[in-house]
Amino acid sequence: MTWPRTRRPGAVEMAPLAGVCAGLALAAGPLVDRIAAWVTALLAVAIVVRLVLNHRSQRLPSLPTKLLLLAAGAMGVAATFGSVVGVEAGLSMMLLLVSLKLLETNSVRDFQVLTLLGFFLALCDLFFSQDLLMWLYVALVLVVLTGGLVRFHRRAGACSYARAVRLAFTLLLQALPIAALLFLFLPRSSVAPPFRLAPSPLASQGISDRLAPGSVASLAANDAIAFRAQFPDGTRPDTADMYWRGPVLWRGDGLQWGQGNRLSEEAGARRLAGSAMRQSISLLPSGGQFLFALDRPESAPPSAAFQAGGWLQNARPIVNTLHYEVTSRPENRQTALPPDHLQAALALPPRLSPEAWALAASWRNGAPTGRAIVANGLRYFHNQPFTYTLTPGAYGENALDEFLFRRRAGFCEHYAAAFATLMRAAKMPARIVVGYRGGEYNALGDYVIVRQADAHAWCEVWIAGSGWLRVDPTEAIAPERVSAGLAPRLQAGAPHSTAARGVRMRGNLARQAGLAWDSINYHWDLLVLDFDEDRQRALFGWMGVGHFARAAIVTWSVLAMAVLLALVALWLRRPARFRGDAVSRGYERFCRRLAAAGVAREVWEGPLGFTERAARSFPDQSAALRRIGALYVGLRYARTPPPVAEFARALRAMPALSRAPVSAAEGV
Amino acid sequence: MPLPNRHALGLAAVLGAMWYAGASQSNGAAYLLCFLVAAVAAVSAIHAWANLRGLTLRVEPIRPVFAGEQVLVPLVLDAERGTTPHAVRVDAGDALHAAEFPEIAAGHERRATVRFAAARRGLFSGARLTATSLYPLGFFTARRVFFADQTWHVYPRPEGSAPLPASSTAARDRREGPRAEGDDFAGVRAWLPGESQRHIDWKAAARGQPLLTKQWAGESSGTLVLEWNALAPLDVESRLSQLARWVVMAERASLNYGLELPGVSIAPASGEMHSHACLRALAVFTLP
Repeated sequence: MTWPRTRRPGAVEMAPLAGVCAGLALAAGPLVDRIAAWVTALLAVAIVVRLVLNHRSQRLPSLPTKLLLLAAGAMGVAATFGSVVGVEAGLSMMLLLVSLKLLETNSVRDFQVLTLLGFFLALCDLFFSQDLLMWLYVALVLVVLTGGLVRFHRRAGACSYARAVRLAFTLLLQALPIAALLFLFLPRSSVAPPFRLAPSPLASQGISDRLAPGSVASLAANDAIAFRAQFPDGTRPDTADMYWRGPVLWRGDGLQWGQGNRLSEEAGARRLAGSAMRQSISLLPSGGQFLFALDRPESAPPSAAFQAGGWLQNARPIVNTLHYEVTSRPENRQTALPPDHLQAALALPPRLSPEAWALAASWRNGAPTGRAIVANGLRYFHNQPFTYTLTPGAYGENALDEFLFRRRAGFCEHYAAAFATLMRAAKMPARIVVGYRGGEYNALGDYVIVRQADAHAWCEVWIAGSGWLRVDPTEAIAPERVSAGLAPRLQAGAPHSTAARGVRMRGNLARQAGLAWDSINYHWDLLVLDFDEDRQRALFGWMGVGHFARAAIVTWSVLAMAVLLALVALWLRRPARFRGDAVSRGYERFCRRLAAAGVAREVWEGPLGFTERAARSFPDQSAALRRIGALYVGLRYARTPPPVAEFARALRAMPALSRAPVSAAEGV
Repeated sequence: MPLPNRHALGLAAVLGAMWYAGASQSNGAAYLLCFLVAAVAAVSAIHAWANLRGLTLRVEPIRPVFAGEQVLVPLVLDAERGTTPHAVRVDAGDALHAAEFPEIAAGHERRATVRFAAARRGLFSGARLTATSLYPLGFFTARRVFFADQTWHVYPRPEGSAPLPASSTAARDRREGPRAEGDDFAGVRAWLPGESQRHIDWKAAARGQPLLTKQWAGESSGTLVLEWNALAPLDVESRLSQLARWVVMAERASLNYGLELPGVSIAPASGEMHSHACLRALAVFTLP
C-alpha cells in the first residue's frame, strides 16, 4: 500500500490564519486546567508550527505524519486519563483534533471547520463556568473567530483586520435580538441525557463528606462562590448566626471523620421551633450532592431528601446551577434518639489514648448536666494555649493527642473533630456538621453570598430532653491566640470569610463594585440561565398564549425572526454616505457651491476644465477658482502634492458667488 | 436569497450539538450559545445578500471562436455607489475558469475574462454569468445571475483531411495591398491578439517596441470556390468542418476564395473580414 505523497501547500493569508489561531487559543484558555497539560502544549506547538510554515510558505505535514500524531495523541490521552471517553479525556481528544486540523488547514473548508470547532470549544467553556464574565469571554471568542472568518472571506484586498472584526461585532449585535427571541420563545424540550457531566474529581470542589485535618483550611483561600441565598420574607438572620447546614458526619476516628453507615430515618428529627426562615438558594455546581440550608431545614425541595442528621441530599450530582427554596427554623425539639443513632453518635475510635480518656473524664466528673459537660470542654479550649491557624502543619500518628496536648494548633476541622471525639468519650452523643458559616450580605441585590472560603465544621451534642445542641468549639479559642489575619473570622457579626477576602477589601469602593458586579451576575443567573421549560411555560401563560399549540408558537417565532432579519436587511440598504478623504469632500463641497451658483459640473468634466469654465463664468473670482482647480489637481496627481491645508484655506477664502454668472455658455 | 452550502451542514451539526447539550443537561448557557450562533448565521445570510446587491456586471463583445475552443467573456464589474461587494466569484458555467475579485469598490471598474467551452457551432446569445460570494461567514452562498446581452458565433471545428480544391485557372489577378504572405516586405502594422505569431517582428519586440506584424506584398494566388457539393459523401457537420478548415487554409494562403452552400453563396474575396463572413455562414448554416 502506498501513501499519497502529496503534501498540501502551506501558504494562505497570514492575517485570517493568525486570527483563527487566536480564536482557538482563546476558546481553549478556560479549559486548560481540565485537560492534560501536554495537550495544551500540543495546541500551542501546532499554532506556532502552522504559523511558521505559513510564514515560510512550506508544505504542510503529510497524511502519514498526521495519522501517526493522531495515534500517538490518542494513546497519550488514554494513558493520561485511563480512557478516551469521559469529560476530561474527551476534551483532550477534541483539542488534539483541533491541533491536527490546524496543521492541515489551507482551504476554505478547513477554515470553516476550524471556526466551528472553535464554537464548540466555546460551548465546552460554558460547561465549567456560566457566570457573566465567562459569557463576556465567550462573546469575545465568538467575535474573534467570526472576525477571522470574515477576514478570510474578504481575501486580500484593501482590508484591515480591524474592519473584519468590526463586521463580526456588528453581526453579533444584530444577532442578539434574534437570539433573545429564540431563547424566549422557541419551545424547549428536555431530552433524556445520554451522559451526565460526571461529578469528576476535577469538577468537584468545595465541601466533601469527609473531614480530615486541612480539608476545610484548604478552602479558606478559595474565593469561589458556593451559593447565593435570598430571603423572600425578609427574615435574614445576623451573618454570625448563619450556619448553613451541610452533610452530617457520624463516624469519627480521631481527627478523621466520615459519614459512616447508613442510619435509619430519624423519627421526630424535624420537630423544629422558632421563627420560620424561607430561603431561596442558587447553588452553583459543585459536583457533590449536598444542598445547603440554614440550620435547620424543615422541608426538602422536590429533588432532594433528608438524610440522617437532618441535612439535605440531592438525588443527582449537581452539575448545573440549582435553584431551590427551603424553610428553616433555628431550634431543634427532638425528644428521642433512635437506638442506631445513639450508638453511632457514641461510637469511639478503637484507639484512644489514656490521656484523652482522662481529659474526657475530667470534663464529665462533677458536671451536673450535659450542658455543663459541654461548657467544661469549651473552657478547656479557651484556657489552654490553643491557637487558631490556617497552617497548623501536618499531623501524623496519634493526631488527636498531638493536637490536644502538644501542638494545640489547628483550624475549625481540628477543633470540631477533637471536641466531638472527646464528647463521645465523655458519654455524650455527638456528631459533626460540615457546611458554611456566615456569608456576605449584598445590599444592592438583597441576598447573601456564601463562598467556599466560608466553609466550616462544627459539632452537635445530644442533650437529653432538649435535643441536638449546636456547639462551635472554634468560638471558644481565646482571641489573642487567633493567628493574624484570621481574627475577623471569629469576631461576632463579621462574616466568617472576611479573612480570606481581607486583601480584596482594600477600599469600600472596590468592595461595593465587587458586590454590584456579583449582583448583576446573580440576576444574570436567575433571569437568563435559569430560564427553562417551566419558566417558558409561565411566560407563555403570562402573555396569554399558554393555550396555543407549540406549532403556532414556533410559527409566530419564525415570523418575528423574519421581521428582525428584514430590519437588518433594511438597515443594510440604508442610503450610503459618501466617505471620501478631506480633499474629495472639499472638492465635492466646492462643486456643490458652484452648482448652487449656476455652474454645475458635468459628469465628464475634469477639475481643470470645470474650474476654467467656472472662472470664465465668474471673472472677478477667476484667479481663486483656477487656483482651487490647480491645487486639487496637484493634490490628486502631482508627484509632490501641495499641502492639504493650503487647499482647505483656498476653499475657505473663496467668497460668495453671485447667482447670476456672466454667461455660463461663454466660450463653450 | 443566499442558500446554505455544504459548510452550513457543519454549522448545523455544531448547532445540533449545542442544542442537545442544552436540552439534555438543561443547560441554559448552551441554549443561549446555540441560539446566538444560529442568529449570527442567519444575520450573515442577510449580509451575504446585501454584499452582492450592489454588484453590476457588463459584458464586452465576445469574439467568435471555433467549436471545441473556449469562449472568452470579457467582464466589466462595478458596484453601485455606497456598496462594496467582497469576495466575488464570477463564472460562466465553468467553475474552473472563474474570476475572483476580493473587493469591488464603487466607481472602480474591475475587468476580467471568464471562459467556457464552446461545444457546438452556431449563433448564441445571452451568456449566463453567475456571481457568487461566500462573504461574510461562508455558511451561505449568495448568488446572482446575469445574462450577457451579447451575441457570439461559434464556428464549426476546422477538421477534415480533404485537400484544398484547386484554384480556378482563370482570374490570376495581381492584387494590390499588403498581405500576411507574399514575396516582398511591405512594412509592419500592430499585431492583434489571435493572429499568427510567425510574422511578429521579434527583433523589434526585443528592442522594446510593441508587437508588430510584418506584412508582405506580393502576388496573390488564384481564386477558388469552396463548394458544399464537393463533399458529397460526408454528413452535414463533417462537411461544415471541412469547409471551415478550407476557409482557414485559403485565408492563410491569401487565396481569393468564395463559398457555395445550399441557399448561401459568398462571392470570392479574401481578407479577415471575408473569412469571418464565410465562417459565420458556416456557423449558422442549416439545410434549407
